Amino acid sequence: MTTYTICVFTENSIGLLNKITIIFTRRRINIESLTVSETERKGISRFTIVIKHDKREEVEKLVRQIRKVVEVLAVFGYLNEDIVYNEIALFKISTPIEGKVIDVENINKVHKAWVVYWGLDYVVIEKTGTEREIFDFFKYIKPHGIIEFVRSGRVAVGKTPQGLIEYLPEEIAEWEYYL
Amino acid sequence: MGNLLEVEAKQETFSINLEQPQKKDFLSGAQAMMECLLAEGVETIFGYPGGAIMPTYDALYDYIDRLNHILVRHEQGAGHAAQGYSRVSGKTGVCLVTSGPGGTNLITPIADAIIDCTPLVCIVGQVKSTLLGTDAFQETDMIGVTTPVCKWNYQITSPDEVPEIMAKAFYIAQSGKPGPVVIDFTRDAQAGKMTEKFDYKKVNKLVTYRPRIVPKQEQIEKAAELISKAKRPYILFGHGVLIADAMQELLEFVEKTDIPCASTLLGLSAMPIDHPNYMGWLGMHGMYAPNVMTDQCDVLIAIGMRFDDRVTGDSTKFAKQARIVHIEIDPSEIEKIKKTEAPVVGDAKEALKMLMPLVKKGDFTGWKNEFRKLDAREHQKVTLRDLKGEGKIKMAEVVAMLSDKTNGEACIVVDVGQHQMVTARYYQFRKPHSYIASGGLGTMGFAIPASFGAKMGAPDREVVGIIGDGCFQMTIQELGTIAQSGLAVKMIILNNNYLGMVRQWQQLFFDNRYSFVELKNPDFITIAKGFGIEGHTCDERENLSDSLDKLLKSDKAYLLEVLVEKEENVFPMVPAGTSVSEIRLE
Repeated sequence: MTTYTICVFTENSIGLLNKITIIFTRRRINIESLTVSETERKGISRFTIVIKHDKREEVEKLVRQIRKVVEVLAVFGYLNEDIVYNEIALFKISTPIEGKVIDVENINKVHKAWVVYWGLDYVVIEKTGTEREIFDFFKYIKPHGIIEFVRSGRVAVGKTPQGLIEYLPEEIAEWEYYL
Repeated sequence: MGNLLEVEAKQETFSINLEQPQKKDFLSGAQAMMECLLAEGVETIFGYPGGAIMPTYDALYDYIDRLNHILVRHEQGAGHAAQGYSRVSGKTGVCLVTSGPGGTNLITPIADAIIDCTPLVCIVGQVKSTLLGTDAFQETDMIGVTTPVCKWNYQITSPDEVPEIMAKAFYIAQSGKPGPVVIDFTRDAQAGKMTEKFDYKKVNKLVTYRPRIVPKQEQIEKAAELISKAKRPYILFGHGVLIADAMQELLEFVEKTDIPCASTLLGLSAMPIDHPNYMGWLGMHGMYAPNVMTDQCDVLIAIGMRFDDRVTGDSTKFAKQARIVHIEIDPSEIEKIKKTEAPVVGDAKEALKMLMPLVKKGDFTGWKNEFRKLDAREHQKVTLRDLKGEGKIKMAEVVAMLSDKTNGEACIVVDVGQHQMVTARYYQFRKPHSYIASGGLGTMGFAIPASFGAKMGAPDREVVGIIGDGCFQMTIQELGTIAQSGLAVKMIILNNNYLGMVRQWQQLFFDNRYSFVELKNPDFITIAKGFGIEGHTCDERENLSDSLDKLLKSDKAYLLEVLVEKEENVFPMVPAGTSVSEIRLE
């Protein structure tokens, strides 16, 4: 199984998420992670969808089917080596008075993770990285007692010098910028 | 909660009182909808009223002189009628139904229209926007339900949205690869007034949706090169040729290059049947030579078709020796099924026009004769047997005789099953847009509503529905629509008291285990008469000719029931999932 990252640019309108995901459902392709948010251009959303598949041509067909949705502007499919990608995870770690002291320095310097909230007997640690880096940290921090753990979907940018937005239809350039 | 609702209700009343005087000059959402339909040149609507669409039906009352509304008996009938109308006329079919069951009854025609690329605009009522998501009376999530089966859908919740969205709806439905569009129209958007003057601007361009009409020159050149080098080229054309109105271009292309061609089921009638380069049609029950020769050609030129599994059989074995040129408007169809050496994304008409100057005059007499040799075999094994004229009447005889009597110029609407395949085999199509069938979805019950839809779309043509006894009972209530609208639709039931195609499969592949395929049928003629439609039954071969004359001469709707051979099988047949080389003639 190969991991593919699919970036989809769409109009930001009601029901779009459903219109995109049913294309995966119909072909029995499981979505490993999904991140959607509005881009720097008002009214345009960007989906980052991670799937695993063993046939490249099936993924290409999937990409063409997504492109067919009327509200979709553009679709790009990537292998891991073509992109820079990350996720963010939050760990709520138990810190009782009699418990093992957490090694903040190690967490910062070795694991590149940060304590973002100090509770009375717990802390919240934020860790960004790839799936693997997050799970490595998970293993490290587990003995302290993980009260809660959450991981976002992947966000990714291509390794090409251009931005994907440059591939979008020219009319989009006239659309209002956020900032 | 009760208090909250009260407050909301009060506010609503208050705001209406305050704003009404300055708003009363503007159209309501429902009136705006009518104006949109007129602006798009819509003349005919197929529909059924109900609670949530009542404001629109009320607006329609003032437009009766300009919009011809056909009241069906079931919303499925409205959808198929709109399909028949569209398929024969090339115009967009329009349906108007209510929320909940009105909308869900329309799902089958919508699914049928997307797979057979038929432009429809379905306007479906919806509960007030304040009631959305509350399980209100007759509330169904139509956007959720139709998303997988329509080209585009949109929920209109404000009257001001109507002109912009309807312009978009018509453009999306009819451009590129046509398909059904669903407009979910909330009751408050219908009843409320617009806050601005109605202004309709037709849409012919959208930022996110831009079908390629004119193909890229380099794709054309590559295709032309492949075609020019071919020793045994073969054209397969489909529904796309009819949709693109590329019949003339196809004819010129075929005549210049002398390449033999064959049609898919839905491509039937795009090419006159007696043309010397036309070899017939292919597919599961298609003709022998057109099927088998897919294994012999060196270059396969597919035009406006999508390598459906009923065409290819086992697609991994289909035409695997051939280099493929695929002319297709939908890029997602390219290489969906077959590896393609020269894809041409674009409209069939434009593509053929651009290819014409790049292809050379050819002579493929020898290659064409190979088709003809196989034809002789089919004629011997299948056609002669079907038309032998012994025992009970055969479906083939009825269709062949109808074809002679109408000179192959009638518009034939078929349902789904054996009669559909027999009609494709034995009707000699000489005019385009003459074989109206549910191809991709195979929807039984299609033909009665699609027949009167087709008659509305082509009132000057003879429209004959050829329908099985099983199919007829799926939408039998639409006889009422035919009677009420006074349309001279001719219907033939080929009655074998069986679900014939399923029975054939059970006989051939399920060891004669006839599982629930025999029908105890009603007296169809009495039923038709009950609806006010004349008809009679033909049981004897010697009466068949007179019976067909009576049907065709009637200036009103007419039903002819022909009692045919009960256990007749349709051949040739490529059993499902096998290669076309395993085609059976008996």
